[in-house]
Amino acid sequence: MNIVVLVKDAVDEAELRADPSGHPIQKGATTKMSNFDKNGVEEAVKQKEEHGGTITVLTLGGAESKKAMREAMAMGGTRGVHILAEPEAAPDSLGTAYYLAKAIQRIGEVDLVVCSEGASDTYMGQVGAMVAEFLGMPFLAYAKKVEVDGVKITCEQGVEKGVRVLEAKLPAVVSVLSETNVPRYPTLLQVMVASKKAIEDVQLSTLKESDYPVTGFEVLSVTVQPVNRKRLILEGKPEEAAKKLVEALRQEGVL
Amino acid sequence: MKLFGPEHERVLSSLYGDGASEFDVLLRSFSAVLEAKVLPLSLGLDQGKGDIGQTRRTLFEQGLCKLSHPERYGGMGLPFGVYALAMELAGAADASTAMSIGIHNTVADAVAQFGSEEQRRKLLPSLLSGEKLAAFALTEPSSGSDARSMRTRAAKDGKHFVLDGSKMFITNAGEADVYLVFASTGAGHSAFLVEGSNPGLKVGAQLREKLGMRGSHTAEVKLEKCRVAAEDSLLGDEGAGFECAKKLLDSSRIVMGMMCVGIARTAYVKALAYSRSRELFGKKLSDFQLTREKLANSVIEMNASRLLCMHAARLKELGLSFTSEAAQGKVLATETSARTCDAAIQLLGGYGYATDDVHRHWRDARLLAIGEGASEVLRLLIASRELEPTA
Repeated sequence: MNIVVLVKDAVDEAELRADPSGHPIQKGATTKMSNFDKNGVEEAVKQKEEHGGTITVLTLGGAESKKAMREAMAMGGTRGVHILAEPEAAPDSLGTAYYLAKAIQRIGEVDLVVCSEGASDTYMGQVGAMVAEFLGMPFLAYAKKVEVDGVKITCEQGVEKGVRVLEAKLPAVVSVLSETNVPRYPTLLQVMVASKKAIEDVQLSTLKESDYPVTGFEVLSVTVQPVNRKRLILEGKPEEAAKKLVEALRQEGVL
Repeated sequence: MKLFGPEHERVLSSLYGDGASEFDVLLRSFSAVLEAKVLPLSLGLDQGKGDIGQTRRTLFEQGLCKLSHPERYGGMGLPFGVYALAMELAGAADASTAMSIGIHNTVADAVAQFGSEEQRRKLLPSLLSGEKLAAFALTEPSSGSDARSMRTRAAKDGKHFVLDGSKMFITNAGEADVYLVFASTGAGHSAFLVEGSNPGLKVGAQLREKLGMRGSHTAEVKLEKCRVAAEDSLLGDEGAGFECAKKLLDSSRIVMGMMCVGIARTAYVKALAYSRSRELFGKKLSDFQLTREKLANSVIEMNASRLLCMHAARLKELGLSFTSEAAQGKVLATETSARTCDAAIQLLGGYGYATDDVHRHWRDARLLAIGEGASEVLRLLIASRELEPTA
């Protein structure tokens, strides 16, 4: 089975700082493989372990994206295809999906495209569905459980108070959740071997054709929600204060 | 807490040039595993609530011990400095686990350097994978840095040796599958590989009142008519044990120094974060000049320690003499670590003094100025090299 897994080199949200006006400082921010994409890679590797075949790690991003690709390849990716797009020239979700789909068509026979629920930095959650549309493949979203039998894919999708089971013929695109699996940690040897696996660089211009789509919306701004400490002081005897604390935590939705 | 920082990236670049990016990716991945699977268990290990077997297994599964060993025995054949830097990260995640692995890998190093082809083939793959755990038994109740005065004896009996004596403060004692025991024979000091299951090898009670490194196992090991086959057991030539120990300790001192840098960095990062958030007299703690002096001194000394240890590692990789540099690196790093951890306690004030999660770093670091060559003895070694007659 030939699998393509979509991986994004996302801004490390834990390291992201905001300027005084609340806008995140993107320039110079450290990046890493999107946390959710690790679940996508894990699912691809599990399917490869069960059915054999190849895993192509596909990324659109700047030179820094190679790090995330190498990590995905250390987890079990066979080869990489890197669509080069430095952050300042990066397309929007629709454009990204267009280029990814074009690259997948070039890869040739693909049975399954795996992606995650969204990127851990922007969390637009659009690319997977758009890629499926461009490729004319069915899209199975938010799969909690994935089973493939060679000709079809079956997924369990969590719905409120229940489970919905979806089935589609291959080839298909599936997006997985952070609860779908536990991503493995590659060993040092796997990391070293991955550093020698082939990554093909592809220029955006070689993929763009006359059918390049126009997005219907634009992102006007991104601001960080300020976090203010509550500085709540609970008075009274320890037993009373503990009760008040539990009540306060319940009200905040922590418990 | 991020264990791999820009300072690691920079030291790799300065030492390995173009090859650095590969090591950078490798160590970044390793630190992610440490952050997820070792660091969160570290406090529990110090408090006696954890199992060092679990954290050690994580490092073995990662392949930490394989890094710098030859590929033909299951290693990865990478430069020793990459292993040394990985040990800094391991020390930053959990000092006890790093200590246990560091000692274990010194024995693997002994087999790789001095073992017969048969001993290497038989033991190295299982030591590098962690299938077997090793202990290094040199120190005795009445001899530490003065190893030449050891009292353990190995008497030849046909094709066997019979070992009698006692070894003290042995890391991994009671858990190890194989012990590297140093003993005197007629020909001088010799090194022996003794199975943990040998009926003549007995492990005493665990030393539970240790100041630090409380997650690791430490005990006395007694050898009572411990009979071993010379062919399997004798490591290197009979009488060459002391030279073997000296060479092993040269490398091990680099590793212990790097572990100390890791311990210091973890304490420093906690103090830095606290100084940024703690307010007093209407200002942040980090706004005070005396705080900044402590932070700056810690950074200067940690970087200097790392660079000196890595310099010794690079000399070793190039096949040059590194005995003095390794000793210098260990002295500087162990003393830096104690100072940095002390500064962290001071900055955290009452919280530093009253909580295990801060003062345990100072307690852990304190051992390393004693073990594997006390600072005083290493200074003698360094000075004696300087006083050697010049050609």
